[in-house]
Amino acid sequence: MIRKEINKISEIGKALISVEGNPGVALNHVVELLEADSNQSLSFAKAINITEDTTRFQVFNGTTGLSTKTKIRMHEIPLTAGFSSKMLGRSFDGAGEVSDGGPEVIFEKQVSTRLDTLNPTVRNVPKQALWTGIPMIDVFNTLVKSQKIPIFAGPTEPYNRLLSQIAKGAQADVIIFAGIGLKFDEYQYFKEQLSQSGNIDKTIMFTHLAGDSQIKGLMLPDVALSVAREFGDQGKDVLVLLTDMTNWSNILRNVANYQDMIPSLQGYPGSLYSELAKRYEVAADIEGAGSITIIGATTLESLEDPVPDNTGYITEGQFFLENGKLKLARSLSRLKQGVNGKTRSDHRAIMTAMASLLADAEKAYEASEVGAANDAYSQKLLRYRTDFIENVEEPFGEPMELEAALNKCWAILKRHFDSTETGLSKKLIEEYWDKN
Amino acid sequence: MNDINKKRTGNLISIQDSLVKARFFDDVIMGETAEISVDGKFLQAEVLQIQPDPKNADAGIVEMQVFEDLTGAKIGDEVVFKGTPLSVLLGPGLLTSVWDGLQNPLYKLSEEDAYLKPGMNAPALDETVLWDFTPIVKVGDSVSGGDVIGTVPEGKVDHKILVPFKYGACKIESIIEKRSVNITQKVAVIVDELNNKHELQLAFRQPVKSPIPFRERAIPTKPISTGVRVIDLLAPVGYGGTVGNPGPFGAGKTVLQHSLCKYAVADIIIMAACGERAGEAVEVFKEFAELEDPTTGESLMKRMCIFGNTSSMPVAAREASVFIALTVGEYYRYQGKKVVLLADSTSRWAQALRERSGRQGDIPGPEAFPMDIPDQIKGMYQRAGEDLGTGGSLTFIGTVSPAGGNFQEPVTQATMDATGGFWGLSQDRADAKKYPAIDPLVYTTSVYDGFVSWKDRNKMLGTLNDANDIDQTISTIGLKKVPVSNYIQYQKGLTIDFCVMQQDAFEKNDACTRPERLEIINEAVQNLIEREINFEVGDMDDEQLKEQIKHKFDELRQWWREWNYSAINEEQIRHLPKAVEEFILQEEYAV
Repeated sequence: MIRKEINKISEIGKALISVEGNPGVALNHVVELLEADSNQSLSFAKAINITEDTTRFQVFNGTTGLSTKTKIRMHEIPLTAGFSSKMLGRSFDGAGEVSDGGPEVIFEKQVSTRLDTLNPTVRNVPKQALWTGIPMIDVFNTLVKSQKIPIFAGPTEPYNRLLSQIAKGAQADVIIFAGIGLKFDEYQYFKEQLSQSGNIDKTIMFTHLAGDSQIKGLMLPDVALSVAREFGDQGKDVLVLLTDMTNWSNILRNVANYQDMIPSLQGYPGSLYSELAKRYEVAADIEGAGSITIIGATTLESLEDPVPDNTGYITEGQFFLENGKLKLARSLSRLKQGVNGKTRSDHRAIMTAMASLLADAEKAYEASEVGAANDAYSQKLLRYRTDFIENVEEPFGEPMELEAALNKCWAILKRHFDSTETGLSKKLIEEYWDKN
Repeated sequence: MNDINKKRTGNLISIQDSLVKARFFDDVIMGETAEISVDGKFLQAEVLQIQPDPKNADAGIVEMQVFEDLTGAKIGDEVVFKGTPLSVLLGPGLLTSVWDGLQNPLYKLSEEDAYLKPGMNAPALDETVLWDFTPIVKVGDSVSGGDVIGTVPEGKVDHKILVPFKYGACKIESIIEKRSVNITQKVAVIVDELNNKHELQLAFRQPVKSPIPFRERAIPTKPISTGVRVIDLLAPVGYGGTVGNPGPFGAGKTVLQHSLCKYAVADIIIMAACGERAGEAVEVFKEFAELEDPTTGESLMKRMCIFGNTSSMPVAAREASVFIALTVGEYYRYQGKKVVLLADSTSRWAQALRERSGRQGDIPGPEAFPMDIPDQIKGMYQRAGEDLGTGGSLTFIGTVSPAGGNFQEPVTQATMDATGGFWGLSQDRADAKKYPAIDPLVYTTSVYDGFVSWKDRNKMLGTLNDANDIDQTISTIGLKKVPVSNYIQYQKGLTIDFCVMQQDAFEKNDACTRPERLEIINEAVQNLIEREINFEVGDMDDEQLKEQIKHKFDELRQWWREWNYSAINEEQIRHLPKAVEEFILQEEYAV
């Protein structure tokens, strides 16, 4: 088949190019850019904005080195990603090309990267816990299969360490790692951690390093999630790690800016919410098929920044990492109620009681800073707070079974309070207070 | 007049995300719908703007938003204008339905594909179901838009078949006998004053952006029993009222919406899941089907319908979904039903408008929202109301998702201005897991005649306010400097907050409190507020005494919470005021 070609590029900017006239390209279809003389392939690009006078493309490999004479060859198909079970154990770039220097992968099929919405009626209501061995998650904010949840953390927090800790112990058939704007050491760290845990053979890594082409970073989640979805449709339980979605949103902002779009908050396009939602909503427990769980990382300076703020409204809760601890106060798993009622009888009650005491303790802590927490009860609360931060909010200890973690909670309560001060019911107190 | 039967077409000249422009030579009507043919699929669109064509004086340019993904669209693709504005199909079968934002039935579409693909559609209401139609008018009767010509039973709901609202004065020319028909079959023929004949079926289409009128509009006064104590005691909403419910993420908006869905006393609940998580809508239509309606005892889904335009669905349809849901609500109100519409979230709706106006290149207002967003929000809430003429009402409870949890942002501000009630969810209360996190001190209501007297309500509020003030004093100058009497007042406030305002939506017996039980709780609360408590001082010093007081109140709170979870029969329920009385007298009260 002879493919139509366009011979003149009229405008070349950062990441975008335009041609005059209407060459007949369709929206979101792929074109290939070729060196004018040698016909050597330089990059692929996607049509994003078409009028009868001009057509604009996003260039996957960046625009440096392109000239007005660069040839554009039309492929007349929308963007797809290659899929094969042979991808397991391998690394790819944001466009789905092999990037680990190993042999080419023969793809079994091409899958659409459009990320069509799953019909809500074929979603199962999530009911299966995904245990992590981290008490702060298992007891207080249980992770559930098919959940979408980010780790909110300052840029210097060990969020990637936490992600890999969760991935190492995860009961998933396939792990898809999607890294956007990663530093090389972060990439290498994940690779080593996954190799050590023996999970590397069920992992596919899609990586975009800081400094790589922006468009490839922008595309990466779509390519990674399309591959994840194909595994899910085939009945596999898939865990997707997206890190870091703030980097991705910043690329989105840059590209919107190149397109002269009207910014809404802090320069981000008005569509930031919809764009993030489109990716996170891929998480699902699919009727008659597998499941996709997404744990993201969102770095932030402040919770009010548009990226964490929009993310919080999209995801089913968040894990909040501060000073290396998983903080109870701002963390939340929205799906936990679907699983934590079927564990031990004290699970929900102790979770609520400890949280409520911790909130009181935080108030006492604030009071103590101005010397106003001198009464005996405030002192109790302060001791409890210290104990809680050191022993419960620490995510990086030895993995602990739920049962042991709950017992530990009782022990901490007993260490600091009288049983009536806990707000726990008489029945539970009788059953557990003296056992721990 | 336009001949709307003539095929009018145009061709695409610009495509960007969900916004397209087309050149046309004939005529185009502002707000009409259109179909764009892309790769053999027909995509739904709506006309937003009409402009002159700078290149061709004989042509015009029409700007449209497209409700589906445009991948594959090319310059020159054909547009067919439909002549009708965006509309919704109204008729029996609405209840129990689950649609996307454009009223495509999701269960039906799932038979075709697990994923929602552009161009997919199916009839909004099942055309195969037969309904037992009973006529109530006869040949020769005068009728006009909105009049009832017959009824069909829709589950336990008596569904009235109305003359479509677009018709003026008409006469019944023919009407079928009592029998079973589906929604596409003819049930009657009416003749208008110009002698034009119109066939009527059980269902008809109604434009969504112009409201269905009231017969006799009234101010909402009768409170709805929502089952949520903090609402029913302090900030009740009336049948036909409006409430804005803002809160930062994680403050419990969703759980509250679900509680209202389950427990609010109403004939019909409509849920517009607008740009929110798919999982939450799924929970409603998959799990609520197994729960009981508080009034009929039937499956909860039998009184519900759901528009699931979730966050990853096309953004243009998000705007439509709220109007479609409102129109369905107005339709049932016109039949005399008490309807509650829950829209989650109106912020996503406003953001859809923002995305669109940004693409259209409009000059942005605050935070890039369209300049007229406050008017659009007001217009939307205004469609709720009580209708004395029909006995029906449409209550509109909209959640707001303020950016950064900041209530100063444009959508929250406009909502506060537009609604009669306001339930502000507090991050601090949510952090302390005090649910529902409606701050008992941050809300408004326009219902003055609630489930407890205004006087009792004020006393309750007064105590909560006192406790809040004393709490601040304690955290600034320390407990020692606070007099014992104030400390007791503080403990009283804490008790009301902990045992009454807070409620566990996941505990069977605590999740919903009806007015009778609320009355008993109020009796106990008033007792606690009014009466002085005499503690044995003995030879305790100030600190020991306060310890003692706290200990006693801790015991009361533990007992009371247990009562919330376990008091089921009349005797157990009636025991609460007595137990508080005994507590006040410092007698042994626990049974």
